[in-house]
Amino acid sequence: MSVSNLLQNWSAVRHTHPVGDAPHAEYKWAMAIDLDACTGCNACSVACYAENNLPAVGKDKFEHGQQMHWMRIERYWDEDGRDMPDQGAQFLPMMCQHCEAAPCETVCPVGATNHTADGLNSQVYNRCVGSRYCSANCPFKVRYFNWYSYPDQEISWPSPMEQQLNPDVTVRTKGVMEKCTFCVQRLTVAKHNARNEGRLVQDGEVQTACQQACPTSAISFGNLVDPASKVAKQWKAQQVELAVDKQAKDEGDDSHEVGEHHSTTKLRGYRIFEELRAYPSVMYLERVRESAV
Amino acid sequence: MSQRHLLALFNNFDEAEAVIKELRETSIKGFNFDDLVLKSPIEHHEVEDVLGQRSANVQWFTLVGSILGGLLGFFLISGAQANFYSQMKGGKPIVPLPANFVLTYEMFILGGVFISVLGFLVCAGLPAKRSPLYSAKVQEDQIAILVKGDDSAVAALKAVFTKHQALEIQEEAGK
Amino acid sequence: MGKDIREDISWAKINTDVLKSLESPRPLYWVIVGVALLMFLGGVSLEAYQYRQGMGVANLNNPHVWGLFIATFIFWIGMSHSGTLLSAILHLMHADWRKPIYRFAEAMTTFSLMTAGLFVMVHLGRLWQFYYSLPYPNERGLWPNFQSPLLWDAMAIFTYLSSSVIFLFIGMIPDLAICRDHLHPGWRKKLYTVLALGWEGTDRQWRNFRVTYLTVACYLIPLAVSVHSIVASDFAMSQQPGWHVTSFPPYFVAGALYSGCAAIITLFIILRYVFKFEEYMTLPILKKTARLTFAIAMVWTYLNAIEFASVWYSHDQASKDVLIQKATGPYAFAWWGMIICGSVVPLALAFKKVQTNIPMLFSVSLLLNLGMWLERWMIVAPTFSHGYYPWTWDHDQWPSFVQWGMVFASFGWFTLLFMIFCKVFPSVSMYEVKEMVYHRSLASKMGGKGGH
Repeated sequence: MSVSNLLQNWSAVRHTHPVGDAPHAEYKWAMAIDLDACTGCNACSVACYAENNLPAVGKDKFEHGQQMHWMRIERYWDEDGRDMPDQGAQFLPMMCQHCEAAPCETVCPVGATNHTADGLNSQVYNRCVGSRYCSANCPFKVRYFNWYSYPDQEISWPSPMEQQLNPDVTVRTKGVMEKCTFCVQRLTVAKHNARNEGRLVQDGEVQTACQQACPTSAISFGNLVDPASKVAKQWKAQQVELAVDKQAKDEGDDSHEVGEHHSTTKLRGYRIFEELRAYPSVMYLERVRESAV
Repeated sequence: MSQRHLLALFNNFDEAEAVIKELRETSIKGFNFDDLVLKSPIEHHEVEDVLGQRSANVQWFTLVGSILGGLLGFFLISGAQANFYSQMKGGKPIVPLPANFVLTYEMFILGGVFISVLGFLVCAGLPAKRSPLYSAKVQEDQIAILVKGDDSAVAALKAVFTKHQALEIQEEAGK
Repeated sequence: MGKDIREDISWAKINTDVLKSLESPRPLYWVIVGVALLMFLGGVSLEAYQYRQGMGVANLNNPHVWGLFIATFIFWIGMSHSGTLLSAILHLMHADWRKPIYRFAEAMTTFSLMTAGLFVMVHLGRLWQFYYSLPYPNERGLWPNFQSPLLWDAMAIFTYLSSSVIFLFIGMIPDLAICRDHLHPGWRKKLYTVLALGWEGTDRQWRNFRVTYLTVACYLIPLAVSVHSIVASDFAMSQQPGWHVTSFPPYFVAGALYSGCAAIITLFIILRYVFKFEEYMTLPILKKTARLTFAIAMVWTYLNAIEFASVWYSHDQASKDVLIQKATGPYAFAWWGMIICGSVVPLALAFKKVQTNIPMLFSVSLLLNLGMWLERWMIVAPTFSHGYYPWTWDHDQWPSFVQWGMVFASFGWFTLLFMIFCKVFPSVSMYEVKEMVYHRSLASKMGGKGGH
């Protein structure tokens, strides 16, 4: 009976996250991106298109903002208060931040997006009805909606490009929301292999497509629960904690505005919009600024 | 002894009220005052003074409906959440009380309204077949009094009606 | 000020006058129905096009995922609120001038809710899977996400729609009996016979009727407030700048009553002319409605000002930027249009000359509704073009013909339903007008002052 089930598991169903106990037993996938290493070459974005069967929407639809790039390289020009800094633009690779307390999850009317046990923000295409509330409530705007039936368009994968579609990833229909999955198809394979061999996934065993393609190795990805993993070491070295909305190293920084970040230490690690209490799983390493050299 | 229905139509409420008063005070053999039915085009709240308190129990249906609706709402929703979703959303509890209170509130009202209507139909005896004697004039501007009495009482009842300027008296055909 | 209604009007005349509206309206009625049908059919073809092609034809895009559909959804939900105001709140307050006009206001509630419901559907990316958001038992044990304010919306709208249909129907039973007894035989007489449930106006029926009507009225008031608070929660529960505002629920409720009252004035004037209801929908009643609208307009203006002031005072730069963008950015024309139509135009209602001048009132009420529609648009759209994330700023976005066309068509759909209702069912409550006449004539006979 559902009511007795409810009463028996009362404390379990009243558990909140990420505050309180640690729910991630074996895996918590996380990322670190070194902006100082990023050259803005877009290889990560291209790799993502290839790996995740992202359709090319064409110039016309791109201009209308209907593009599908899960991984996007953003350019910012106004560094240090100058319109055109000598070194050119500053780049920021942006994709789903896989928040621990994701704002998109609560608002979905059908529960198509959830927090998985290994710390991902999952998206169930089959369940999605396309209310687009998740995107409306995403602070990073990293969710992409299938405005048209892209697979039916010649321009998406002009022949023979359809031959290179990844068989491990579904091709999405019109009217559903999609976003970066941290290459969940690769994670699943790695976890299965490890389980068959009676061990855990080792660091470096699984790479995301963007990480794999990055010529400067700006992206590192791994299991945050494993203290030996590179990503866990980076987070630790930068003193960035997953489950806080203000890092201890930033104490004394009294900026109140959302998005403002003034680290008082030499450490470069930060998370975007930490103060919105979404607890993102991606740490960025701030670019070493011209003025700071 | 066979009983017959009589229906008298009156022009205004005062006349009908006077008839009811008289019927209540004079006891006519073979006529029970509780069988008297007043039919009017609008509601006459004042009629309760002369008819006596007759009960209206819809509010109890409302109470029960609301409570059941609210309970059903809360347990249906919480039970469904606890049964199905072991995956968390937005870091919030799987059974989030503030959200469920909103839905419980809506179900409270929904249950109240639905069961009130059921209560109305039960208490008012609707939908019903037409009573033996009926005049469409009641839906226009006249007031009708329907009584039931033994054959012996019919004459006395008619006399009361005519005394108070009944416009028309309908009589059920004798059996 | 004249009397709300002539006290010497005979009850038989009330019946014939109102029943005539079921038979022979002015030719304008058929023109309105025809135009509305065409508008609606246009909308249906646009929806068919969008259904086939995908939501992209609405020219929404990735930061701007919500557009006119959601704005118009709020607009129609808002419009539904004044029906409840007139029928339930004024009923509890014993303001009997509501009696000749509340029936059509309630019908307006019902039909604008139906229109609002359509917009939820039209907005969905996968309309063919809409039932995923309904809580129905299924073999997979799947349920919708009860945490989502959208689901609360669905539940609230279902509750509100079914309760107001019930309220409308219950209040109409005595009138249906009148129709049953006075119309020529035909399919309509059969319909009324079924719907009247055998009502004869006995004391037992009236007694229970009164209690039920009062109970349902008492339930409808908190329900109406909760419905629009929940719609406000769609925004207030999110964490986007410009939406995450604590005062949104009361602000939405006030806005809802406001736009609803303006719509009541519009429909009042149309019905009065089309069905020749000059005897019942009188100028003094129109005047009272206009005054009520003025009062609510001022409440709305106050809450609007409070919202701006609290955003400004909060020191939250992101929210402040959204506000600045509304006033100076690409949406400035709509935002200032909302201020002018919503807060300046209603000042005209303070003048007695305007309160009884039908052409003036008609145009003022249309402007108020335009202002309230703009308000909803200004709640939804600007947050998308200036949210937290700088990358989303300055993306051009303009609703396409599909969006504008469906907004336009929704007025056709609403008008169509409403006009058919008014032709099939009595849009003036006959028995309550009789009550009003009866009690007022009684009061003046007693030497007291008639009416309120």
